[in-house]
Amino acid sequence: MVDSPEVLVIGGGSTGCGIARDLAMRGLGVTLVEKGNLTNGTTGRMHGLLHSGGRYAVSDQASAKECIEENRVLRDIASHCVEMTDGLFVQRPEDSDEYFEEKLQGCRECDIPVTVLSAEEARTKEPALAGDVERAISVPDGAIDPFRLCVANAVSAEQHGARIETHAEVTDVLLEDGAVVGCEVRHDSGSGKRVHRTPGTTEEIRADYVVNATGAWAGQIGELAGVDIEVRPSKGAMVIMNVRQVDTVINRCRPKGDADIIVPHETTAILGTTDEEVDDPEEYPEERWEVDMMIEELSKLVPILRESRTIRSFWGVRPLYEPPGTGTTDPTDITRDFFLLDHEERDGLAGMTSIVGGKFTTYRMMAERIADHVCEQFGITADCRTADEPLPGSEDFEVLQDHMEAFGLRSPIGRRSTQRLGSRAEEVLTTDDPNPVVCECEAVTRAEIQDAIDQSGTDLNAVRIRTRASMGNCQGGLCCHRMANELHPEHEEPTVRTALDELYQERWKGQRHALWGEQLSQAMLNHVLHGTTMNRDRDPARHETVNFDAFDAGAPDSGRREEPDGD
Amino acid sequence: MTKDSETDHDHTDHTTDRTDRVATAEATVPPSSERTTDLRPGADNCYKCTACDTSCPVAEVDDEFPGPKFQGPEQWRLKRSEDTDIDESITSCSNCMRCDSACPSGVPLSQMHNTARGEYVEGMSKLSREYVRNRILANYGRLARIGSRVPRLTNFVMSNRVTKWFNERLLGIASEREFPAFATQTFGEWYEERGGPQIESEDRRIAYFHGDYSNFNTPEVAKALVRVFEAFGYEVVVPEQRCSGTPMFANGMLEDARRAAEFNVDTLSALVEEGYDVVCSCTSCSMALRQEYPELFDFEGTEQVAAHTYEALEYLRLHEDLDGALSESEVDGEHPELAYHAPCHARNQGLHRQALELFRELDGVAIEDVGDSCSGISGTYGWKSEKYDYSMEIAEEMFEHMEDADGTTGLTECPTCAMQMEHGTGYEIDHPLEVIEKAVV
Repeated sequence: MVDSPEVLVIGGGSTGCGIARDLAMRGLGVTLVEKGNLTNGTTGRMHGLLHSGGRYAVSDQASAKECIEENRVLRDIASHCVEMTDGLFVQRPEDSDEYFEEKLQGCRECDIPVTVLSAEEARTKEPALAGDVERAISVPDGAIDPFRLCVANAVSAEQHGARIETHAEVTDVLLEDGAVVGCEVRHDSGSGKRVHRTPGTTEEIRADYVVNATGAWAGQIGELAGVDIEVRPSKGAMVIMNVRQVDTVINRCRPKGDADIIVPHETTAILGTTDEEVDDPEEYPEERWEVDMMIEELSKLVPILRESRTIRSFWGVRPLYEPPGTGTTDPTDITRDFFLLDHEERDGLAGMTSIVGGKFTTYRMMAERIADHVCEQFGITADCRTADEPLPGSEDFEVLQDHMEAFGLRSPIGRRSTQRLGSRAEEVLTTDDPNPVVCECEAVTRAEIQDAIDQSGTDLNAVRIRTRASMGNCQGGLCCHRMANELHPEHEEPTVRTALDELYQERWKGQRHALWGEQLSQAMLNHVLHGTTMNRDRDPARHETVNFDAFDAGAPDSGRREEPDGD
Repeated sequence: MTKDSETDHDHTDHTTDRTDRVATAEATVPPSSERTTDLRPGADNCYKCTACDTSCPVAEVDDEFPGPKFQGPEQWRLKRSEDTDIDESITSCSNCMRCDSACPSGVPLSQMHNTARGEYVEGMSKLSREYVRNRILANYGRLARIGSRVPRLTNFVMSNRVTKWFNERLLGIASEREFPAFATQTFGEWYEERGGPQIESEDRRIAYFHGDYSNFNTPEVAKALVRVFEAFGYEVVVPEQRCSGTPMFANGMLEDARRAAEFNVDTLSALVEEGYDVVCSCTSCSMALRQEYPELFDFEGTEQVAAHTYEALEYLRLHEDLDGALSESEVDGEHPELAYHAPCHARNQGLHRQALELFRELDGVAIEDVGDSCSGISGTYGWKSEKYDYSMEIAEEMFEHMEDADGTTGLTECPTCAMQMEHGTGYEIDHPLEVIEKAVV
């Protein structure tokens, strides 16, 4: 036994970051490695629903009870990531009364507060609902930003002494005497805050215990360690609408099915989803019919969706797991429960536990269980404090409203910035320097971008998930380059250019599934702006050395009124 | 006293209407009576090309003004249902509506601005100097009704330096501006005196929406309309009417606008039923009836009135051979070049070329286009002390082009553009209808 055990957590999703925070708060040494950005896997590819448990109240009451419990905890500890929108289970004429009653009964059994609304009451609450809906059940569903939540967990873990390494892929699991003693990781571009184009290094990270929190990728880590983990990744498609058609979570009140939920998410609405088993969590088809079906089906609940603009679509893979021998064929029937696989008990391999299954809303509870389990291995009795201590940004949230206009920002910009930053708003937004808006769609200012760069280095996708910059209707067409510009002068031109290309490509990826109507016009305008106006498709500076010092700094005072006269 | 009882009465009407609307709309449209209009879906049309910002005359001169894209689609898109705050800068939008024409993608910019401004003003202190000033400016018509009873006295008082000093200091109304003089006989009085319509016709009949300004200040324009239409064989009726609402929209006084609009729609839709088309001599009035009413209100008959409203020259060009009539006419006497300015609201209705096209063929008249800039006054905008300098800066280009024209007479359809043109150049400003009157009557 060691006094202060070192734990290596693999996976920078909500579960991994939650585990890192929990263990670090209990005084253990923690290193977290993630092969991409934080939220790179499933966490960053979900619909952002904070479950009330209502969705599982009929089929899986154990999960439903956990959901409502954690729903209450997260409202408290992660208030700056949560928007309590409420949710409705909406019954259409073709949906059965019997199921409606079962849902109602199930919610009551699970202690989920419910109210039955008449069609008219439901439409008063949510005017966009179809004229022919029958009635609805109101539940305390909410919207949650998985990016900010995950980042806040990582930041908190760091504050408690943890080391967080992104872009650090596990290339091998180190075994000694039949036990796991650490991992070998390859840093994509150097250890620590990411800098582009610096040569990568390989590092052996030794640990007293390893936690495999890689979700749908758990089988791949298992393979490196020589154990079998039968995750059954199941893909789900999600469509992002340009504006919020609804301000309430809208669920279809019928037994499990595709395309039955609309979640208001920040400035957008997300339509979900499908459920189809795939072989590989990274290689699977993303098909147009999935998007079409989603819009078609959900228009029955909210008709305006049919003619509304979608800005992108994305697919995520659920890390579903069932114990060997269960033999479920339909992925929608596989339990949403989570499993803690102690490889010592299970496979005779000491020093490592995997956590699989589960869902985002209960990430903290999962982290608590696994942290308990790790502590048990070392005879540590420290209590879990993650349900009581607010995350960075969620402290003293009530004072926030008073501060909204204090940063010299126009009111909707100040409001959105404060909604995102929570109790960190003052620290981030107070500045003596000019603080222009960098991303107009999402109202993100330079100060917030700079704060994110301080956290994550030159990776602009990491800046994006922290700020939402480039996630609005132009999908970065008008702000990617401004974001990249914020990296200068600290970073040189080639680094800035690579960072820009990487962000721009990532933004394009999701838009490919939304290329009709307005988003097609948008994509064309973006293309012309970047290709023609900025000459980014054949910029000579890409291949030749440009003497940037030869350019002057512009007019000494670029104020419009000071410009000299001249035709 | 009078005002209070009127408000109560209007309030009752308003409630009744709302209930009706919910009841009739239930089948297809979700009732949204509890919330303000949700214009977020309008942001779907915006792909941020920024054409609106580059066309905005205020953004060009006022560095503090963030421009129509921010005021419209961006601000709306950032809204959650419980968010009620609107940025103060919305009060700097002059409601020229040039952004509407500039947008290649159909974003309902002015509707977004008008609605947001209404919400902002709702939250304003009703005792603030700005609110009181804006309410007075927006309700010019009500004051005109009183002032024009004793026109000579009012004109004397309003042009008095003491009054101007008082207005500037106490209310923030630019003392540089000359209050327009009230006519000694209003158009309404004249029309009454002559015994109403001189022609009765089953198939050529219009209801004239003259607006307040040509009633109280420039009755010669209104008379010209009556005479020109009668010359073409039209029955011209003049229904009782209130302000079109234009200055109220521009100042976010949506409740005042609602009351006025409801009265107008009620009166005019009854006439439309009887086969009258509505004709305006002011391009902002026709704009309000055609576009702003349906965008902001839904009284019974609103759409119908909108579909039957025309600007005077536009109507005659559509239904009569005005071009032919003018090309066969001539205007006697000396008529140096007219410096024509197309009002922004005429531009929005596609009417900015009509005076140029018509008068080019008219013997005895020469016309010079003074360019496509905004006149800068935008109704009440240029009357506000803090906006006066911007207003004049916007107008600079127009003034220059006017000076370049040969004559010293200007021409425009809009009464406040006319004020600005006169203010900046000292020219006399005519309405195209007055020129047509000379030619065809």
